[in-house]
Amino acid sequence: MKSLFGRRSAVVTVVIAAALILSGCSSSSVNDSAGEASGDCGSYAIAMHAWGGYTASAQVLAEVAKQELGCTITQTTLEEGPVSYDAMEAGTIDVVIEDWGGGRWKDWTDRGAVVEAGENGNIGIIGMYVAPWMVEKYPDITDSKNLNKYAAMFKTADSGGKGAWFEGPTGYTTIGEKMVSANKLNFKVIFSGSEAALVDGFIKAEANKTAFIGYAWQPWTLHSKLPTLEAARVVFPANDWSDPAAASGLTDYPSTPLLKLISKKLNDANDSFTSLVKNFSWTNADQNSVAADLEGGMTAEEAAKKWIAANAATVASWIGK
Amino acid sequence: MKLRKSYLLLASVTVWILLGRLLNGTHTLQIATYENTSFTSYVGKKALELRGNRTESPAFIYFFNPIRGAIDGFVQGIRNLIAVPAPNSLIPIIGWLGVVGLVAFAVYATSQWRTALLSVSLLLACGALGMWQFTMDSIAMTLAAVLLSLAIGIPLGIWAGLSDRVLKIFTPFLDLAQILPTLVYMAPIALVFMIGAASATIATMIYSIPIAIRITSHAIRNLNQSPIEAAESMGSTQKQKLSKVQIPMAKQMIVLGINQTVMAAVSFVVIAALIGAPGLGKPVIEALIIRNVGQGFVAGFAVVFLAILLDRSTSAAAKSQTSFIPPTEKQIKTKRIILIVSAILAVVSVFMSRTMLWAAVWPKEVTIAPQVARVTNNITGWILENLTIFTVGFKDLISYSVLNPLETQLAASPWYVTVGMIVALALIIGGTRTAILAFVLAMAIVLSGLWYEAMLTLTQTIVGCMLTMIIGLALGIWTGRSDRALRVLRPFLDAGQTLPAFVYLVPMLGLFGPTRFTAIATGIVYAIPVVVKIVSEGIRAVPHALIEAATAAGSTTRQIITKVQLPAAKKTILLATNQGLIYVLAVVVIGGFVGAGGLGYLVIAGNSKPELQGKGLIAGVAILLLGVIFDRIMQAGARRST
Repeated sequence: MKSLFGRRSAVVTVVIAAALILSGCSSSSVNDSAGEASGDCGSYAIAMHAWGGYTASAQVLAEVAKQELGCTITQTTLEEGPVSYDAMEAGTIDVVIEDWGGGRWKDWTDRGAVVEAGENGNIGIIGMYVAPWMVEKYPDITDSKNLNKYAAMFKTADSGGKGAWFEGPTGYTTIGEKMVSANKLNFKVIFSGSEAALVDGFIKAEANKTAFIGYAWQPWTLHSKLPTLEAARVVFPANDWSDPAAASGLTDYPSTPLLKLISKKLNDANDSFTSLVKNFSWTNADQNSVAADLEGGMTAEEAAKKWIAANAATVASWIGK
Repeated sequence: MKLRKSYLLLASVTVWILLGRLLNGTHTLQIATYENTSFTSYVGKKALELRGNRTESPAFIYFFNPIRGAIDGFVQGIRNLIAVPAPNSLIPIIGWLGVVGLVAFAVYATSQWRTALLSVSLLLACGALGMWQFTMDSIAMTLAAVLLSLAIGIPLGIWAGLSDRVLKIFTPFLDLAQILPTLVYMAPIALVFMIGAASATIATMIYSIPIAIRITSHAIRNLNQSPIEAAESMGSTQKQKLSKVQIPMAKQMIVLGINQTVMAAVSFVVIAALIGAPGLGKPVIEALIIRNVGQGFVAGFAVVFLAILLDRSTSAAAKSQTSFIPPTEKQIKTKRIILIVSAILAVVSVFMSRTMLWAAVWPKEVTIAPQVARVTNNITGWILENLTIFTVGFKDLISYSVLNPLETQLAASPWYVTVGMIVALALIIGGTRTAILAFVLAMAIVLSGLWYEAMLTLTQTIVGCMLTMIIGLALGIWTGRSDRALRVLRPFLDAGQTLPAFVYLVPMLGLFGPTRFTAIATGIVYAIPVVVKIVSEGIRAVPHALIEAATAAGSTTRQIITKVQLPAAKKTILLATNQGLIYVLAVVVIGGFVGAGGLGYLVIAGNSKPELQGKGLIAGVAILLLGVIFDRIMQAGARRST
């Protein structure tokens, strides 16, 4: 039968096949000269989540694993939460270095597909923050009871006559609607969708002195750009945990020690990378410093290497040297 | 008759507005985002069970998992060849120089030296943008998806080309695939095949197989019948007829189908990164997340270059065989010598890329990425600084004058009023059958519990489509009437069609902030090229005699446009509106990433929050239902208008 593509493509196929065969035969001298993979560390994949702080942690982990242990590390960008747990179950991801999810992985850990690997040292604080300039002008605004008094200032074209409440990115832990109803606030939750949208919102509001209330967290790089942001955190009444199952009772975000998760494969391997991940722990300040370099235009690799060089002792304690 | 129809339309809209005002805020079916209906929580529970069953259920062990494994292996094989280090190796099997050599040779052999040169420079440009490995990953993914799509699509297309019954069975599915917004089916696929290259490949195939089927069957159906009859009269068997006559005759059209399949696969490169596709989508989406416009554009340019490369090389292969003048002896000889030489060069370059590091891994020093990123950052920075006042003003104007009233009308009216209106519209425009279909589908959305969100998305889609049509009609008329205008706009239209929506979602966010309008604006930019192209073709198809007659009668240009060209192109314009609506819908839902809310937000939230998984899956279905309702109404309207 005559080929669909005629003689020419037959020629092309032959040449490509020849090139392939040749490339198979030819020496692999490049492999010898390009570097050396050594040690007992295998080849692993680290999940890369969206936010700057995560990138900092994951990149430092990756660089230490590559430089000090000689691991082959791939970094795969994907969403946090179930998507990542599925990938860990499928064997395409081995490490989530920072998870805020407060037990949402339970279905996966229960069947042994994902293993908890301890806290990573960062404490996650989530809250609702107003634009910092507002604190100076309206000192009582950080008390949630006074928010309704200022609600009209927060109105936008999209908020349907109420104040606009800029909720956190999609995958993040968000309880905005519950907070609004539990605290009886005259606000409408706008799902800003991404970290970028929030950064943009806070910075513009601060520059133009416009009203803004949005979801923010620690550790986060925005704090290095807006040093007064932490003081602009709105204080809500503490949650009544006597009935944690009540979905509508949540009045504020609890602070969360952030957790590391690893795949069953990595846990079973029990090699030098497993112990590196299990030992990995650093402070909010550490993460912020790397994340700030990232934000300043350094590549993730450069920023991580800079931190590693300056914190040799911490790194040594992770790899047990 | 026509007059009565528009009166009927006007009357029902008036009734709808009055009822909406009267009953405002009642029976809106609004529920909080974190709340589930019994239906969505049931679906969520089923989805969770499905996840848990992946290692145990026979359907997974004997069906889904082997498929995933096979496709993963196939993709990985191609990636190892050109993109990522093969096992026990630090470089891909063929390094960058080898890839360039092979592409140059292959393109030259199948078309001309000009196309080969273009292909090589585009490849080198991708490398210089610092995107070599991502580009190779994307090529590998595209290649895998296209090969599999063709392996399935061409045989099915031939089958549908030969049998009317098969075509009849396929047609609804092919139509549905054209309406289906890409964001919708990624979650269900990832649920079954998990995040990774396999899911991304399958998602791409769902998008590209229908195109391969459609064009192949079209090619077989529109052949000149006399050679086929001749073959029949000479006693050929069915098989002989197919392999010796029909397929060779349809070859060129099928190659064109390959080109279209490739382009469909390329357009998926970015969005597929959401479910773990390796390649250029990764840097684009990262740029959205950290809001680095420059980086987004660097990666976006690489996507466009890749698209042009694949488009030109495959379409040139289709065209190169059209010449009827046989080449002279000398030309054949020269071509043969150059072919042999370039074949040797290709083989040598592959060999070098295996043995020398500089030819294996793209040298990091050779890069223009920082410069490109800086320039685009500066340009967008300037725009943001100086134009935001206008853009925000425009956004507020549209929001207060159109978006908010329409949203109140659609979403804050009782559901039965809006459903009634949609059915009435369908009845007046499309007829009884369309009305029944619209009623059934609208009720399905109501019963799913996501009616309110669906109305938010519908509002954005309608507003986006209106603005698209205003701009698209103007540009379409302009390019339809003037060849010069077409020449000027053509590159922008082509680039607009290949540049992934995610790339300009970032600057849009800067211009309009996290609002519904950002999603709408992105949808408009995405939909305008296709609307302009269709309208322009429609205007060009108006018979010259009509225009000459009008000119002779002393009509002004404006009269010619409004009284002759537009009415004559009415059907095409309706079709363009339909395309615009579908395109805007497909992108508006991506707006869930930037504060647009609605169904798109639920789809995205369902991916990341286990408790919203069911709601997200149902939201995807609701988007599809919305699309089908409006596609059917518009199509019926276009059919009736002839």
